[in-house]
Amino acid sequence: MQATLTIKLARVAIVIAIFALWEMLSRTGLVNPRLLPSASDTLMTLGDLLQRSSVRTDLLVTATEVLTAFAIAVPMGALIGFLIAENRYFADVAKPLLFFAFSIPKSIFLPMFILVFGVGFAQKVGFGFFSTIFIVIMSTTTAVESVKVEHLTVARSYGATRAQTAFRVYLPSMLPVLLEALRISMIFNLTGVILAEMYASRDGIGHQIATWGENFQMKQLLAGVVMVAAIAMTFNELIRWVETRCSHWRT
Amino acid sequence: MSAKTLRHLIVAGLLVLWELLPRTGLIPELFLPSLSSTLLAGWNEAAEYGHALAVTLYEVAVSMAFACGGGILLGAIVGSLPRPRLLIMPMVSSLYAVPLVILYPVFTVWLGIGSESKIAFASIYGFLPTMLATAAGIQTIDPQLLLAARSMGATLSQRLVRVIIPAAIPTVLSGLRIGGALVIVGVVVSEMLISSAGIGYLISRYRTILDSPHVFAGVLLVLFMAIAFNTAIRWIERKAAIWQTGTRAGQSAADEVGSGAMQPAT
Amino acid sequence: MQPLANVTPLKPPPRAGAIEVRNVGQVFRTKSQDVVALEDVSLDIKPGRFVVLVGPSGCGKSTLLMMMAGLRAQTSGTITVNGAPIPQPDPNRVGVVFQEASLFPWLTAEDNVEFPLALRGVAKAERRAKAQDALKLVGLEGFGKRHPHELSGGMKQRVSIARGLVQDPPVLLMDEPFAALDEQTRMTMGDELLRIWAATGKTVVFVTHSLTEAVYLADEVIVMSPRPGRIVDQLQVNLPRPRTYEMLSGDAFGALRDRIWRHIRKSA
Repeated sequence: MQATLTIKLARVAIVIAIFALWEMLSRTGLVNPRLLPSASDTLMTLGDLLQRSSVRTDLLVTATEVLTAFAIAVPMGALIGFLIAENRYFADVAKPLLFFAFSIPKSIFLPMFILVFGVGFAQKVGFGFFSTIFIVIMSTTTAVESVKVEHLTVARSYGATRAQTAFRVYLPSMLPVLLEALRISMIFNLTGVILAEMYASRDGIGHQIATWGENFQMKQLLAGVVMVAAIAMTFNELIRWVETRCSHWRT
Repeated sequence: MSAKTLRHLIVAGLLVLWELLPRTGLIPELFLPSLSSTLLAGWNEAAEYGHALAVTLYEVAVSMAFACGGGILLGAIVGSLPRPRLLIMPMVSSLYAVPLVILYPVFTVWLGIGSESKIAFASIYGFLPTMLATAAGIQTIDPQLLLAARSMGATLSQRLVRVIIPAAIPTVLSGLRIGGALVIVGVVVSEMLISSAGIGYLISRYRTILDSPHVFAGVLLVLFMAIAFNTAIRWIERKAAIWQTGTRAGQSAADEVGSGAMQPAT
Repeated sequence: MQPLANVTPLKPPPRAGAIEVRNVGQVFRTKSQDVVALEDVSLDIKPGRFVVLVGPSGCGKSTLLMMMAGLRAQTSGTITVNGAPIPQPDPNRVGVVFQEASLFPWLTAEDNVEFPLALRGVAKAERRAKAQDALKLVGLEGFGKRHPHELSGGMKQRVSIARGLVQDPPVLLMDEPFAALDEQTRMTMGDELLRIWAATGKTVVFVTHSLTEAVYLADEVIVMSPRPGRIVDQLQVNLPRPRTYEMLSGDAFGALRDRIWRHIRKSA
């Protein structure tokens, strides 16, 4: 217990040290403060930005796009993944194709989405969906395959019904893998949407960050980077926390 | 019909559809130019694409050296020392959740819109998975192997050269495969965003003038680049690690690395 | 290599292969408390003997073996092999065979056997010749080019034994070498080990969980108890050699096994 506390403290210390170094580099003029505004300035700017209604609207736009893409991609990917995992023949046919689709870079197809959907909500959601669906399919297949044959045999030998098998064997076995899949899908989804916004867009936080960059507004730019990073990390840690809570039966 | 035949038929069918759907006008050529017009567009501007490819390949090569060199070095350190591992690994995988593309504007402000900013961005993009994979590879080395080597009187450097490095090779290679793929993505994406040269730049330029066949030709070129790199590393993986099936720990680590946990986000 | 003889091995030079354990203790310090893993363990192992250590999990038998191998330092007491202390591994005096195959999966069987020689910079030709001899001794002639994953569990352990013997040390230490094998392979490997032992005249110290295996293989069985680990009994196994499968159902065998079991049940 004590060791983990020390480690946690050490981690906090590292983060503080990084911010301190950042602050120092800028304050002492070792690095041009115009290129690297100090940490404190950046955080203050971040506070200002969060007050601005335009930034809040951008965040809301991004959040809507991310959640919409997520809400479409996850159930659809899960369904396809489940069907593939359940049917041997189908799996043999589709898996190498999916694996291939999974391993190729998705971002180079971004221009296609602009050609098809124009620059707007549909393009972001479409690209977010496209970035996410393959990983969801892959992880669902992995999750189904992670169910142990022995457990299914035991359930069958004690006369479990289909529904009982689904709820008492499949679900608990798959849950940890599914949660992990959800976490990683969200990373892919968020990256996809932000990239789409940076590439061509009229709103959204990704677009704002790109604009600040083009206009050399370093303070706002860094504040935006810190903001997005913080949001992504918080979500990530949240799911990881849930994961560890229900990982005790994971073998 | 065997699964393989059906799969080949599906691929062939997709290619035929790619040609037919735009030709018959079921899908506008703007959305999806036919396969033949895409290839033709690429062929006609071969010199321009070739020049862009050279720029992109140069950036990829330099970034790859930074990302993979740094990733392997730091991963080896973090993986072999328990304290830094406990300290840093969770922080690194938390960092992995951040859409790193938001850093690119920062690099353009600092380094301009030339090759430097692409190299900086792509290096960072490819660095994390390589480092995570190397650390995981070192970590999963069976302690029995090290104990056995020690019982035979192996010195520290002998253990490093004869046990730790060969045992870590499969995981490091799969890390390289993913890190390298990310480096390619990183370079092309940054070229697409703000740039004046390279394939990504060509794609974006043709996109703004709505010249779909040329956009697709560029996309195809990048796709081939990514696939060629992937195939090459997989070939090396097979050559270098025929014994890989022997270590369950190593295999599962390689699986973990390969199966999503550290795959390129977009 | 000495000729195959299953009654008494040829007399090795005096003290070569002798192991003396004097008042050895081992204490693991954790944050909350000190755990006594071994307490006042003394043991005399004569050259050429086959000695088996048994005891329930946590009795420190493997720890003791690691100390004899120079892989771990004791907190108190002394251990000598060939009359000299063993502060670090010395493959010229002691060969070690581990549980599961601790073979390097990226090396072929013969490269694995050559590994300890390669560490000392022995010339390639000499290495190869010695490895071939060792592989022949364990009955794996012609399998040298295979990788471990192409060998069965029993064959892997044969390679491990060959690796332990390749430098011709007087002592062979074996840490539950057959634990991962199935029952049939295990019996076969036991007979093989006895054959190799008889042919080479090594001192063997063998750790196992299996009482049958212990009595079947040993000249002498050392029974240990856990927390703190100490020796509770030392049995001489006077069954004739070569040992045969029929002895397993004999009264003498049963009596010895019962005596060990009573000790272990008491301490469990």
